Amino acid sequence: MPLTEHTAVVRRLVVSTKGAPAGEAGRGEPVTATAAAVSAVLRAFGRSPEDLPARTAVFVGAARTAAGLGAEHEGFPVHTASSPGRALRRAHRELLAKNVDLALVAGFGEPRSEAVTVHAVRRAAEAVADGDRVLGVLDIPDLPGAPDASGATEALDTFDTFADEPVVRPLRHGGRSTDPGGVRLLLWSGRDEADEARVRGELRPMVDRLFPEAFPVLPTAVPCGQEPGPVRAAAVTTADRAARAVLGAKAVATGRPRPVALLFPGQGSQHTAMAAGLYGREPVFTAAMDAVLDLFGEDGEDVRADWLADGTTRTPGIDIDDVRRAQPLLFAVDYALGRTVLAWGVRPTAFLGHSAGELVAAVFTGVVSLPDAVGMMRERVRYAVEIPPGGMLAVAASEEELRPYLRGDVAIAAVNAGRQTMLAGSCAPLDEVAARLRADGHTVVAVPATSPFHCPAMAPASEAVERAYRGVRLRPPALPLYSGYTGGPLGPDDALRPDFWARQLTDTVYFRPALDELLAADDMLLVEAGPRQTLTAFARRHQAVRLKASAVVPMLPARPGGPEEDRRSVLTAAARLWEEGHSLDLDAVSRLWNWSADAPPAPEGPGPEASAADGRFEGRRPLTAV
Amino acid sequence: MSTTTTKTEVTLADLTRMLRESAGEEEGVDLDGDVLDTPFIDLGYDSLALLQVIGQIQREYGIAIPDDAVVDAETPHALLDLINSGQASPA
Repeated sequence: MPLTEHTAVVRRLVVSTKGAPAGEAGRGEPVTATAAAVSAVLRAFGRSPEDLPARTAVFVGAARTAAGLGAEHEGFPVHTASSPGRALRRAHRELLAKNVDLALVAGFGEPRSEAVTVHAVRRAAEAVADGDRVLGVLDIPDLPGAPDASGATEALDTFDTFADEPVVRPLRHGGRSTDPGGVRLLLWSGRDEADEARVRGELRPMVDRLFPEAFPVLPTAVPCGQEPGPVRAAAVTTADRAARAVLGAKAVATGRPRPVALLFPGQGSQHTAMAAGLYGREPVFTAAMDAVLDLFGEDGEDVRADWLADGTTRTPGIDIDDVRRAQPLLFAVDYALGRTVLAWGVRPTAFLGHSAGELVAAVFTGVVSLPDAVGMMRERVRYAVEIPPGGMLAVAASEEELRPYLRGDVAIAAVNAGRQTMLAGSCAPLDEVAARLRADGHTVVAVPATSPFHCPAMAPASEAVERAYRGVRLRPPALPLYSGYTGGPLGPDDALRPDFWARQLTDTVYFRPALDELLAADDMLLVEAGPRQTLTAFARRHQAVRLKASAVVPMLPARPGGPEEDRRSVLTAAARLWEEGHSLDLDAVSRLWNWSADAPPAPEGPGPEASAADGRFEGRRPLTAV
Repeated sequence: MSTTTTKTEVTLADLTRMLRESAGEEEGVDLDGDVLDTPFIDLGYDSLALLQVIGQIQREYGIAIPDDAVVDAETPHALLDLINSGQASPA
């Protein structure tokens, strides 16, 4: 069953309420749910209530509820059910219906009469994508004939009276699966050059004339069981080429690793089946893609079907360059690649997105929640398609050179590099401008886009999304976000303005100045989390990168190359992070060659794994025994 | 520069010069060392920058280079081969 059909318990806490008002009959009666208790629940996990996600709700399961406890408390909705089990069910439904993003479920009188058990529950795919510790998933069987989650929830509560108590069971998300012919990463290190050579000398015969089946199971990094040394090397290779790859790898003496900044590309970088080689083969990428596409609702299902269409048995219903495909899918892929890097244990210190990529950066820096960002993207697409068709051009010239050519609604859409500027406008005036530019000897390429983003033609869409954005909870960036719209670090004032985000549809993207600011602040290792290498190419032309003070690493191939190339490219990026001196979560990195979403359950056998082979604890433990 | 030659051999030195020029003053790419077999994308040339260089070669040398060159020629070596192998005909 896909992750998106599950809700995950991410925290669990038992609170004693000794001294709080008990049931009227005194000891032995379950504690009464009061407003004070709900205040305690909102603070149960050490976060102040204002730091809780925007759509947090409290679900009270109690035999007795104090008269003073209303449907809202401290600004959070409070749903009351007559038992802890029912409260969990209700939370599960509201989460899957996307009405709630975090459920704090308080079971009064669990596991003892004077105690309250609090579960923090969220959608499982989002929890896995975030690297949240998943204690288990709520096991709530489908109720035959029950209305859907968005429907009559009260009717379901009646249904619940004779349903089982919910149980928590271990999360099952794919499993171990190796491909002897596939590509993998080999990492090794030494205390100094001589030590690295010695380690390499031990590794080489190990991979030479190896059974291909043994190749994927070798350790990710050698020597095992010790901190990696400062002299490092890496090879991304298949079994048959491994010995040569190990011999030919270049050792790097690492110093202070340059901090990582993530770059997220926008419209123009999309291609059919982009990053599809990671889907089902990398657990965090897969969970993140599923989480985003699930948040897109029915549209998300169509986007996924078109994304995974192989072109022979299925062809995409809508072209990838259409804003309805390009932008949702780019958002999802950028986000999922960023999550993958975080899952490796890398902590980026800055984020920069190009155009629609800035919304992805906004999620990583905490300005908007993922569900809100997806909502913002949906509004953006919804109103963009209503704008008369237009286009975008990339011109090998500076902004100043192009200003005299602007006509009608044609505007400077983006300043990408010193000599790469994008124009956008409605079809007719844009064609005219393109013809004049070509006549004057300028090199002009049409950007694959059907909507004229970043020019006045988008104004009606910008105004419409601003109205929608007013309901979104915006917060100041918790980490540096370099904005293409301010050309520098985003301050709290801009971050909190709905019109700042809405105007991104019409405003010029100053990518180059934002990159300048980012690379002026520190020497960085830029990692492009997105398809193609558009931003990588811009960064390679930047003086700081040319002088090798900073460096740039793309995560995906420059040209569409198929699933194996996607995996090879992502592993090469991991290798670069290793060679830079960053520490990597080696288990997380190894999933790319030993995990599959379709992996069958672990085989039956002795040991503690056996009882969980069918994905459940032995027997169905009631919730209270977790 | 000769304007009468119709069959000019474009050398790596010529190509490197044009790659440098196209990148502009501020920007540029690291073209020192062995770049002949380095993919254009690794040198910082996306398809637009490459098209600009190809346009410049066509004008300077009076030859026509098929539009596909930007797709087919992944490296300076491949582009020089394509230009000099006669696939590119005099304009």
